[in-house]
Amino acid sequence: MLSVTDLDAYYGQFHVLHKMSCTVNEGEVVVLLGPNGHGKSTLLKSICGLVPRVNGAIHYKGMEISKMPAEKLVNKGVIYIAENRELFGDMTVLENLKLGAYSRNARKAEKKNLADVFSLFPRLAERKKQLAATMSGGEARMLAIARGLMSNADFLCIDEPSLGLQPNLRVEVFNIIKEINRQGKSILLVEQNIPQIADLADRIYVLEEGRITFEGDAETAIRDDHLKEIFLGM
Amino acid sequence: MNWKRMSATIALIFGAMAFTPLFVGGADHLMHILIMCLIWAVVASCWDLIMGFAGIFSFGQVAFFVIGAYASAIFSIRFGIDPVFAMPMAGMVSAALGVLVGLPCLRLKGAYVALVTFAVHMILEPFLKSGMGRAMGTGGSRGILTIPPMELFGITFSADNKIAVFYAALVLAVVCSVIIMLVIRSFWGTAFLAIKDSEDFASSLGVSAFKYKLAVFALTSFLTGLAGGFYGHYVGMLSTRMLGIDLFVMLMIMLVIGGIGQFPGAILGAIMTVAINESLAPLGSYRPLILGAMVVVLVLLLPDGIIGLLRKFAPGKTEGGQTVAVESGIQ
Amino acid sequence: MLEYFDVFISGLTNGSVYALMAVGLTLVYGVSRAFNFAYGSFFSLGGYIAWVFMMFLGLRGGYIMVFILSIPLLMGFGYFTEKLIVAPLRKRSDWEVKVMMITLGLALFMDNGYQVIFGPRMKSLPPMMEGAMAVGDTFIANQDIMIFVLSITGILAFRWVLNNTRIGMAVRAVAQNPAGAQIVGIPKDRIFAATFGISTVMVGAGGILLAQKYFVSPMGGWDILVKSWVITAFGGMGSIRGGLYAAFILGMLEAFVGYWFGLNWVLFALFGVLLTTLAIRPQGLMGKWG
Repeated sequence: MLSVTDLDAYYGQFHVLHKMSCTVNEGEVVVLLGPNGHGKSTLLKSICGLVPRVNGAIHYKGMEISKMPAEKLVNKGVIYIAENRELFGDMTVLENLKLGAYSRNARKAEKKNLADVFSLFPRLAERKKQLAATMSGGEARMLAIARGLMSNADFLCIDEPSLGLQPNLRVEVFNIIKEINRQGKSILLVEQNIPQIADLADRIYVLEEGRITFEGDAETAIRDDHLKEIFLGM
Repeated sequence: MNWKRMSATIALIFGAMAFTPLFVGGADHLMHILIMCLIWAVVASCWDLIMGFAGIFSFGQVAFFVIGAYASAIFSIRFGIDPVFAMPMAGMVSAALGVLVGLPCLRLKGAYVALVTFAVHMILEPFLKSGMGRAMGTGGSRGILTIPPMELFGITFSADNKIAVFYAALVLAVVCSVIIMLVIRSFWGTAFLAIKDSEDFASSLGVSAFKYKLAVFALTSFLTGLAGGFYGHYVGMLSTRMLGIDLFVMLMIMLVIGGIGQFPGAILGAIMTVAINESLAPLGSYRPLILGAMVVVLVLLLPDGIIGLLRKFAPGKTEGGQTVAVESGIQ
Repeated sequence: MLEYFDVFISGLTNGSVYALMAVGLTLVYGVSRAFNFAYGSFFSLGGYIAWVFMMFLGLRGGYIMVFILSIPLLMGFGYFTEKLIVAPLRKRSDWEVKVMMITLGLALFMDNGYQVIFGPRMKSLPPMMEGAMAVGDTFIANQDIMIFVLSITGILAFRWVLNNTRIGMAVRAVAQNPAGAQIVGIPKDRIFAATFGISTVMVGAGGILLAQKYFVSPMGGWDILVKSWVITAFGGMGSIRGGLYAAFILGMLEAFVGYWFGLNWVLFALFGVLLTTLAIRPQGLMGKWG
């Protein structure tokens, strides 16, 4: 469904991704691991049209999307869910969700998606009128994911959803991601919490210094010594 | 631009200029243009320092120039102070006002600073024409007409003796450029860069933004006011016409051509702008039109001024004056 | 006592137009952080467009026709100005300064363009409505009433669009969190250009409204630029309600200071109030986004 081929990505003068390649097949949950600052977020953002300087190829459902801007990509069903959420603080939960459905394709399915999102996140349904800035870390994280779902996307790039959450909330987030996947969405996930990954991931990539250093399934990853080193070192 | 390159460039520019009277010493009008190039080089460099290096959007440079000019004139006419002393005193007056204006600006962000400093510029004209101004000796709308020239070592540095004035201006420009270069290259310069890029980070390192910003206001206003005083004693008369928007835009073009934060680009920018302005003079009322269009085109085409363009052809080690920004956000 | 009433009405009328223009400015700054130094020239643009339609071309249909024709013109002018000269600067270093400089150059170009095309003398426009309404022992000019009503209507219409339409929500989103707006697929660049266009419409409309009372002249915009910015800064950049309060407060201040001390002191008074306020509250009365 999605294939990245020989991708270079730059932030200003910094060459972050070095000719890296990876794929995500339809219906998969692929997890991206690696030390901080080595390009995991950049990869996700590059796929979602949020990094201006990119060389190489990104193919999604047969289309070449590496130079497509975010607004077009959202309409095509690719959405980024940021690590720091990037919510609209002065707006209510409901307004944030409605804005999530800004693109034309999302607007058509807005009512249905809103209902789905509220059933998936009952706590958000309770706080429809609450301002996003007043939400707790966990609730804000849920809202960010929910807003991403409102875009009617088939492909979600989720950046460290469990960051800073308490253990029970972390479990909840991963269950939700599993459910989203079960509903047919493909997910590229950046994460650091290893134990939960094993259960969730179909495949794992490790990104170090902007290059892929490992590709395989979860069991192989857990048994790899070098990887254990990185994970413990994180 | 590193130390060596900067001083070499400055030396080259002023060295070349030092020889010009040999060729055009007799041409009165050309000498006047050269003198103005030097005076504006000082003002433009100061503006570059405060905007390009300290990152403060000060729009009051012309105002401080005019304040310095008027102050020095009033000191020498009203109080009979020798111009040689009146000029630095005028510089102090400008510096004091600079600090006064700078104080409220310190807590403000970008556009607000531009507004407040531009306000000083806008208020100055009605003030100079007002009763209070006239009481101080500004001459109201007529301006000041008989400013005594500087006299030193038996030489009268007046408009009749342009060659002498030229060399005096050259000395002034060189001294000011060296001061500015020293500031940029010293800890001040590094501090400014840190503050400009991230004030929070800088203060966590103990760099007091407050102190440095005030110091920049003081220094640039002092030098600009000094240059203003020099101007007044040279041309012998002053009026509020200097506060028109045309001069302001011209100063801006100097920075656009020279490149903001690309010292000594401002010096080159000043020279080229004065030259362009003079060559456009026959166009009369079309001149501001062309200048305005020029600004628009130049800002778009020359992101880093002439210096930036030259650097593409002769890349060297570039430190100081370049913002290395880590863009970690989404574009 | 009666003179005070006139001064009050003057302050109210001017204040309402200032409010319209300040809202436009705070919108642009709040959304895209662009400091438009040519705002005054855009104000004059409105007046000149109206003059061309009414006096030069002799268009029939009065001010209604003028507004119908000017609004899309102003919107297009603002939109394309943003796209052509502001947007390309966004990727550069020091872009805020460069935007200030480029708009200042544009202002110089436009003002002198007016002078070349229309001549340096002031142009006048006929009043929207003749006559006056009697209030007690005195009168309020119908013209002033029209200006006030139209300005307030413009502001209310704008507020309605901002709060109740999809594009209004998109604009608010971009203002609050440009990164977030991009993530959800809002075309940030088009929103920047659109808000620039809307602010041009608002200040141009202000130019048309005030042209009938005061004249249209090539250099008349600088006063408006400074006042609009003072009001916006006083009210707090990015706050529409702040801009409204500020506009009326400063409109009144201008009227009374002008009456008691003379017009020369108005600028001093305005800046004095602004500086004192900023010293205590650097973000202005109700500043949020800035």
